[in-house]
Amino acid sequence: MATPDFLLDYLPILVFLGLALALGIGFLAVPALIAPSEPDPEKLSTYECGFNAFDDARMKFDVQFYIVAILFIIVDLDVAFLFPWAVALFNPELGTDRDFQLFAFWSMFVFLAVFAIGFLYEWKKGALEWR
Amino acid sequence: MTLEPLVVFLPLFGAILAMPLGRAAGPKAAEIASTVLVGLAAVYAWVLFFDVALGEPNPRTIRLATWFSSGDFQADWALRLDTLSAVMLVVVNSVSFLVHWYSMGYMKEYGETPRFFAYLSLFTFAMLTLVTADNFMQLFFGWEGVGLASYLLIGFWFKKKSANDAAIKAFVVNRVGDFGFALGILGVYYVFGSVEFDTVFSVIAADGVAIPYGMDTGAPVRELTVSFLGHDWHALTVIGVLLFIGAMGKSAQLLLHTWLPDAMEGPTPVSALIHAATMVTAGVFLVCRCSAIYENAPDAAALVTIVGALTAFFAASVGLLQDDIKKVVAYSTCSQLGYMFFAAGAGAYGAAMFHLFTHAFFKALLFLGSGAVIIAMHHEQDIKKMGGVKDLLPFTHILMLIGTISITGLGIPGLYLFGAPFGTAGFVSKDVILESAFAAGETGRAFAGAAFTLGLMAAVMTAFYSWRLIFLTFWGRSRAPEHVRKHPHHVPDSMMIPLVPLAVGALVAGMAFYGHFVDPAKSEKFWNGAFYSAEAHAPADDEAHAGESHAPADVHAAPAESHDGDAGAHHEESHHHVPGWVLWAPFLAMLAGALPAAFHYLRGDPLRPGLLRPGGLVHDFLKNKWYFDEIYDFLLVRPALAIGRFLWKEGDGRTIDGVGPDGLAATVAAGARRIVRMQTGYMYHYAFVMLVGIALFVTYVLLRLAGGGQ
Amino acid sequence: MGVFETLSFFVPELLLAVGAMALLIAGVYMGERSARPIALASAALLLAACVIVLLTPVGGGQTLFAGAFRIDAFSSFAKAIVFAAAAVAILMSDRYLAGEQLGRFEYPVLIVLAAFGMGLMVSATDLIALYMAVETQSLALYILAAFNRDSRRSTEAGLKYFVLGALSSGLLLYGASLIYGFAGSTRFDEIARVAAMGGDNLGLAVGLVFLIAGLAFKVSAAPFHMWTPDVYEGAPTPVTAFFAAAPKFAAMALFARAMSAPFLELIDDWRPIIAIIAVASMAVGAFSAIVQTNIKRLMAYSSIGHMGYALIGLAAGTAEGVSSVLIYMAIYVVMTVGTFACILMMRRRGGMTEAIADLSGLSQTNAPFALILTVLLFSLAGVPPLAGFFGKWFVFFAAVNADLVWLAAIGAVMSVISAYYYLRVVWIMWFDEPAPAFERESGPVLGAASSISALLMFPGLVVFIGALVAAAEKAAASLF
Repeated sequence: MATPDFLLDYLPILVFLGLALALGIGFLAVPALIAPSEPDPEKLSTYECGFNAFDDARMKFDVQFYIVAILFIIVDLDVAFLFPWAVALFNPELGTDRDFQLFAFWSMFVFLAVFAIGFLYEWKKGALEWR
Repeated sequence: MTLEPLVVFLPLFGAILAMPLGRAAGPKAAEIASTVLVGLAAVYAWVLFFDVALGEPNPRTIRLATWFSSGDFQADWALRLDTLSAVMLVVVNSVSFLVHWYSMGYMKEYGETPRFFAYLSLFTFAMLTLVTADNFMQLFFGWEGVGLASYLLIGFWFKKKSANDAAIKAFVVNRVGDFGFALGILGVYYVFGSVEFDTVFSVIAADGVAIPYGMDTGAPVRELTVSFLGHDWHALTVIGVLLFIGAMGKSAQLLLHTWLPDAMEGPTPVSALIHAATMVTAGVFLVCRCSAIYENAPDAAALVTIVGALTAFFAASVGLLQDDIKKVVAYSTCSQLGYMFFAAGAGAYGAAMFHLFTHAFFKALLFLGSGAVIIAMHHEQDIKKMGGVKDLLPFTHILMLIGTISITGLGIPGLYLFGAPFGTAGFVSKDVILESAFAAGETGRAFAGAAFTLGLMAAVMTAFYSWRLIFLTFWGRSRAPEHVRKHPHHVPDSMMIPLVPLAVGALVAGMAFYGHFVDPAKSEKFWNGAFYSAEAHAPADDEAHAGESHAPADVHAAPAESHDGDAGAHHEESHHHVPGWVLWAPFLAMLAGALPAAFHYLRGDPLRPGLLRPGGLVHDFLKNKWYFDEIYDFLLVRPALAIGRFLWKEGDGRTIDGVGPDGLAATVAAGARRIVRMQTGYMYHYAFVMLVGIALFVTYVLLRLAGGGQ
Repeated sequence: MGVFETLSFFVPELLLAVGAMALLIAGVYMGERSARPIALASAALLLAACVIVLLTPVGGGQTLFAGAFRIDAFSSFAKAIVFAAAAVAILMSDRYLAGEQLGRFEYPVLIVLAAFGMGLMVSATDLIALYMAVETQSLALYILAAFNRDSRRSTEAGLKYFVLGALSSGLLLYGASLIYGFAGSTRFDEIARVAAMGGDNLGLAVGLVFLIAGLAFKVSAAPFHMWTPDVYEGAPTPVTAFFAAAPKFAAMALFARAMSAPFLELIDDWRPIIAIIAVASMAVGAFSAIVQTNIKRLMAYSSIGHMGYALIGLAAGTAEGVSSVLIYMAIYVVMTVGTFACILMMRRRGGMTEAIADLSGLSQTNAPFALILTVLLFSLAGVPPLAGFFGKWFVFFAAVNADLVWLAAIGAVMSVISAYYYLRVVWIMWFDEPAPAFERESGPVLGAASSISALLMFPGLVVFIGALVAAAEKAAASLF
């Protein structure tokens, strides 16, 4: 039974899967083999985000973390929105109408302007400064 | 703009003004203002009386406004001025004026006079709208208005429990009568399609075809039958009986009389005005006004006769043993009303109105005189604790004597001066009644003969109790306490002067107005068709009106020859054609009552037991007013209270309130608590409710479409 | 249609959107002292948008953005009321926010943004546009609910509103995707075409149920009402005043359009559901309010009940029904604004009060206030001859004409029950022993708002009812 051609399109996924598996196992296995082991409680303690990793979820923590996270996500989504836009509209293979491309370009500009206003607001509010 | 409405509306102004005026300018101003207004109305009433009745007949109806106009139903506010209403206007306004005047003295020490005068004037106004009505609706308005005023005045001393109870009793007993009255009005409208007197009476007079409401076919009204309580009845009889039930309530006739003696809890002027001279005669007025109905409903007329006669007898018998001065007079009133009714029932409407007219004078006189006695005796009403008052109140004594000889009927039978019998007012009018009844009995009118007999017996007792009152109160040795005897309460002149015109009336009104009211030669013109008469309204003679002159010969035709007894007819003139002993009988009856009274009460200890010993059967029977109150209490009041209590506790409280408002409220409150309990504040509960809701809706849609799709 | 021609029909929304952004930047550069000027400018912006809406002729309607929106008499009617109500809400907030140290320029900007979303809502004719508009409005409202972020209750209200709102958005989206799946389009006219074809439309019907659930949440109709009392009570009072008026109207208008335009053919599917929601809302409104002691919570239940009455008109599924809904909602908005203006005047020296007991004996301490509130409460209860009665009369009449006599009868019974708690407040005001007096000075806006709405309830009604009915009928006609 011949393998249908279209399944070949999924070959990169298989490759990536294998790679991910190999890397994951490798990163666990190699340190276990070669790294020196000097256990210290301090090494397991909180770092960077400021609160215990293993604790009751209902606890106080600085709202700044959330602000940063949310602002990050907004920009993240924005970029995620810009990529398909660019790919879909300006891919010469799709042969999109020039006028439409211009319209879409300016539309995105409006979007970015609105986005910029939001950015201005958070900047002026001081949301980007860690206090 | 005519001035006639003033005669009715002046007292209303007085009623409206009295309270604010009393507040603004003091009670005296209120008293004077309302008295003057009623006085003006009284003067004007006399003017109208001369205009409408005494001179050339000038009856008229003045329409003031439309009250109801609903489909076929129309009722107006109107002043019907004919002889009948003119007589009533005179009686009501005159007595009311005198009572207003008298009250200025009587009520002085009780206070709250503006309210009292407002009520009195209000009563007067209501009574006037009653008597001037030209339709049954306005009559009913006045009827209820006087009932209201009566209720307010009986309960005037509302802090006194007995006064309140009496007021409620009067009101409730009157409700029974009014229920009949209201049904009677409905019956009138049902049969005639109108409540206008003119329409109704002319249809009866012409024996026109009446088509009962909602029926396709009618019948000549005198033969018409209506279905009532599953039986076909003669329509006019049904209406007559129902209307008479109303009259019985208002005029305290037997069975519905129990409220009147209790009504004496009210101030004495009230008793004089409302419960003697005017309001209680409204029933008599009603029967007279509806003479067309009763003359064509012999059974109803017979009922009127026998109830009236029995009341006359019963009330007089109870009066024999009453010790309260006002109750004696009250039973006497009840009894005299009985006379009026059986006169009307016997077809002698003129005689009934005549007695009503004269009775107003002597009964008001007696009541107001009693009021003076009560005041003088420091509010003592028990005649056994009086005696010898004639030395304290000589003038009142004379006035009371005049009242007494009038009510008992002192006169000379058979003696005619200027065409009128010689005697006191009561003598003349009572004789006319008894003679009319006798004559009617002779012509075969149902119960008229019995009424005559009962009336005579009542006259004996009337004389006895009236003289007993005089002897015990005024004569003999005083049985009053020392301080009362030495220092009788001052009786102001304003309580004496108004009595004078009444006394004059009690003496001469009978002789003066005999001719107009009942003399066959003149009365036809005087009444001018206010009463129905069979000749004038022979069915064949549709065009005839009573006002058109009839040859005297016609009118004087002997009753026995001109009518068959069954059709009923007009007997007013017939008292002239009675045997001689009938003329003398009332006088002898008076002596038969007065002499034993004198015999017993003027010799020895007046309080000693007489023929009727206390504890004896007859004594107790009379003393307890034939046990009517007890029987009613047992038969009606207690069961009613028991039913009421049951319906209140079980029916209203547990069932209606329980299931209805309270239950509903409880359910609502419980529902509210339940729904609110769902409002926990927890988000996951809220989300859960939302999801449950959507699950139910989706289920519904799936079921519906799955079911519908198949 | 060119870009600019399209946008010319969108001037009010553009004005609001651009204006909101400009005010945001202006505010953030000016700092905290900018709160008042920004508020006034926002109100002016909204009023200007309202005027533009009223002055723009719409003719037979105009479809924009490839069927995403439609400008017609219906949308204009709704926008005019929504923008005006939002403007009044901003003006009424002024004193409260100043008093509670909440004066921030973001507040009016958020209201403008919410109003922008509402403007989109009432003209949306596409499921995606609908969703987008609803979210634009809701996100602003979530923030507003939690605006007093130092207050536990306010943040709780905001959080609850947000989470439950997200749930309802999920339901709405799920319904929309089901509808898209079975109808093959998100455009209302396409969906209507598919629905008219008949056949097996089970998927469409189920999608419709989810859509209804999402929309019912927005109008706070039972059983999707649970957030309302908590949010109303917790949110700052002017925010509650805003919530109770403009968003309710917008959501109800959207509801009416979403039921009428695409799904009229499926009326047999949605009518019983709307009817049940209406009955449940009326019952919850009538019963729960009875035991409330907080006037804001009372008003929350009151608004739930009122949504139930409005949904009766919607259940009729006729042009008459929709016009009755618009009339009802317009009257409701005026009554509610007036009532909340009164509630905002319940200020003592110690601060705002919200307990019904604080109103006791008001007639003796401040008779005009008591009179105005009495008129408004009578109107809310639906006592003739006040406007609230006529609102109910129109919806009941529409229901009766659509053979929904039972629904109208239940409505009548429920309005009798609900009269109880309105009258109880009136009783407390007039017959109880007086509580300490409120501060007399409450500023011109609140006094004017309350007395004008009270006047509109009776004499004003006589003047305007004709115009209102005519406008509502024209608006409703544009949906059918």
